[in-house]
Amino acid sequence: MFVYIVRRLAGMMVVMLIVAAVVFVIARVVPGDPAAVMLGSSATPEDIAALRGRLGLDQPLLGQFLIYLQQIARLDLGESIFLNRPVAQALAERSELTAMLTLMSVGIAVVIGVPVGILSAAMRGRWIDQASIGLAMLAASVPSFWIGLTLIKYLAVDLPWFPVAGYGPPDASFAERLHHLVLPAIALGIPNSALILRFTRTSMLDVLGDDYVRTARAKGLSPLVVVLKHALRNAMIPILTVIGLTAAVMIAGAIVTETVFGLPGVGNLIVSAVLRRDYPVIQGALLVVSAIYVLINLSVDLLYAVVDPRVRY
Amino acid sequence: MKPFTRSLYTALLGTALIGSALTTTVGSALAQQPQSVVTVATIGEPPTLDPVGVTSDLVSIITQHVFETLYTFDAEWKIVPLLASAQPTVSADGKTYAFPLRGGVTFHDGSPMTAEDVVASLERWTRLSPRGKTTAPMIESIKATDASTVTVTLKESFTPLLALLAMNNGAAAIVPKGQIDGAAPLKQFIGTGPYKLLEHKPDQHIRLVRFDNYTSPQGPASGYGGARAPKIGEVRFVPVPNAATRVAGMLAGQYQFADSLPAEMLGRFKNSPSVKPVIVKPFGFPLMIMNSKTGVLANQTLRQSVLAALTPGDMMLAGFGDPAFFATEGSIYSPGTPFYDAASAKPYSDNNPKKAAELRKSAGYKGEPIRIMTSTQYDFLYKMSLVAQAQLQAAGYTVDLQVLDWATLLQKRGDEKAWDAFFTYHTFVPEPSLITVLNPSYPGWWDTPEKREALAAFNREPDAAARKGKWVELQKLFYSEVPSIKVGDFYNLAAASDKLKNYTPAPWPFFWNAELSN
Repeated sequence: MFVYIVRRLAGMMVVMLIVAAVVFVIARVVPGDPAAVMLGSSATPEDIAALRGRLGLDQPLLGQFLIYLQQIARLDLGESIFLNRPVAQALAERSELTAMLTLMSVGIAVVIGVPVGILSAAMRGRWIDQASIGLAMLAASVPSFWIGLTLIKYLAVDLPWFPVAGYGPPDASFAERLHHLVLPAIALGIPNSALILRFTRTSMLDVLGDDYVRTARAKGLSPLVVVLKHALRNAMIPILTVIGLTAAVMIAGAIVTETVFGLPGVGNLIVSAVLRRDYPVIQGALLVVSAIYVLINLSVDLLYAVVDPRVRY
Repeated sequence: MKPFTRSLYTALLGTALIGSALTTTVGSALAQQPQSVVTVATIGEPPTLDPVGVTSDLVSIITQHVFETLYTFDAEWKIVPLLASAQPTVSADGKTYAFPLRGGVTFHDGSPMTAEDVVASLERWTRLSPRGKTTAPMIESIKATDASTVTVTLKESFTPLLALLAMNNGAAAIVPKGQIDGAAPLKQFIGTGPYKLLEHKPDQHIRLVRFDNYTSPQGPASGYGGARAPKIGEVRFVPVPNAATRVAGMLAGQYQFADSLPAEMLGRFKNSPSVKPVIVKPFGFPLMIMNSKTGVLANQTLRQSVLAALTPGDMMLAGFGDPAFFATEGSIYSPGTPFYDAASAKPYSDNNPKKAAELRKSAGYKGEPIRIMTSTQYDFLYKMSLVAQAQLQAAGYTVDLQVLDWATLLQKRGDEKAWDAFFTYHTFVPEPSLITVLNPSYPGWWDTPEKREALAAFNREPDAAARKGKWVELQKLFYSEVPSIKVGDFYNLAAASDKLKNYTPAPWPFFWNAELSN
């Protein structure tokens, strides 16, 4: 397994290099100028050119890229043009929120999606199966921003149980900060629970028809033990894959939810950076997010071996 | 019920109960915010906290609490002293301004404000600020005449100097000399204002706390002028880009003030027991800037035809919907402001398809596409541009409407060959010479000899009544040479908690003198 991990990590380095190059080129090919955005709509072309010079944006692209590669080699993601701080610090400031939001929303998606998926598979063709499939279709179809705004209206404005937006006041305790994430986590978790539900149901249906399940039932094992111990374990690999993918996407893909709830997460940071053409943040954040994607995929692959002893690395 | 079904139902119910218990436990931990904190929901994160180099309204709204200028504007948009102790002494030829400084003013780092600080700050302003750079060619010297006087000597009379020094964006902010490092942005944000910066967490909050050693100007509070009393302990600006969330946050009591709200929310605020709507007038005016330098609209007759082809009332209605939030007003300055003049803006309302067609023919238009840049970032500008496109097509023009993101539009407008017109808006400015369209370097590049002469005459004129006459001449030129089309006046909807007392509505909201009741 150690050799496998080392090989995957080496492959990750190559992926990172490709990501760095692609992001660098795309960020600069897209029209738009951080200097123009920073100076505002009243700025003249002369003002913009002067600021470009001060920011080093008037240097040849190849020179800028080489400097960027040197920075990456020193594990330095550079300095944000707008945020007046290093990119690494900007990412670190948002990491707790993003990690907690991802964990909570994946937790909600799993808590709803896996049990209901199992129930749906076990009750195939019955009303509960039909109802859960219908609800899953609905949950997957409704945009998360609509769920977010609806939750805000009913659970934050009409019934003031939750805060409308933000990540709590500056002196907020950890519990208060979590409280601010409940509605966003639900808004993100519900659509994703539909995906997990569908995968769980399909995977379980595949397994429940196998001979060993029939044998287990014939042995007189309780239905709960048959489904949860024997069938579920073998159905877990596709479910784990989709949970891993969901978590990876949420790290930087919760942009709409973060915007609706005014949350300063990594997704929000990336979108703001794109709109402002804050090149160092775009490059640094996407590099880190790509690394996390690769690491999550690696972790999921390693988990296969835990849930299924037949898998060996 | 079968054993399996019962077991699963039990498991699911247990999961739901654990979930609710967790939510309740966490919810009960939510603490009350201190009463002395006013949370202000803004439209986003400011690009910087240095108010000198940029003209962003959002930067001004926040930094005007921290940094101060020598002068500012009162409720009637007259220039009044702020860090200066009185109006300047101006020489008879209008070339020398002696600014007396207020004594006993200290910076947030505890150091006293000196004439040297003011000289260094004004010099920085001439190097960095778009407004200062416009003024720089006219300045011969900036010197500390004595410990409490700074003298600016001009090469020629330039009446707008005082207004430029009073603006809070591209501001001539006074900072300690030691904080100034050439053309570099400020690293620390130390001013003389009623609030000082406590903490800036980008995309999360900007915390300004009361500056206990603040020395206020004298006189009754009026607009941005007069006495400033920081009665609220902390003003906390939080970026909330989604307008619907700002509205919900106001209604839920999470924010005490929210800016730039959708006009259609007026009814909800009127019906709310705890929130009052704030309509800010004057606020701004949308502009369709035309390229006077290059391309098809460099032809003045064609620009006149475009003006005749458009119906600004339809564009404003499309942009803002509720007539409570706009006025179809052609005068660049609204009624009630010193530079208002309707007569010289008459072509604004002369929408005449026949005249438009005649002008189009006489200009020799041959169906070349008119490239109009717009952006969905500002919904009202986008909607207006759709109406303009339809009306111009109906008038026989070929229109290439380019919908871009705002950053791309800002970059592309600097390239004179890339466009023929673009939509933007201008916030109200009390002094006409601050209007960007008058700057020959501003995209659109309006720079005819007649305009240069009229603007120079206006800028030289020291007498207020005579200045009004000169401004009318400039506005006549604006409507005959048509460098841009002013689409109308629009107002801003903000909302304030009913607990926020003594708040004075202003284009750049400020919170000194305001109080928070229990």
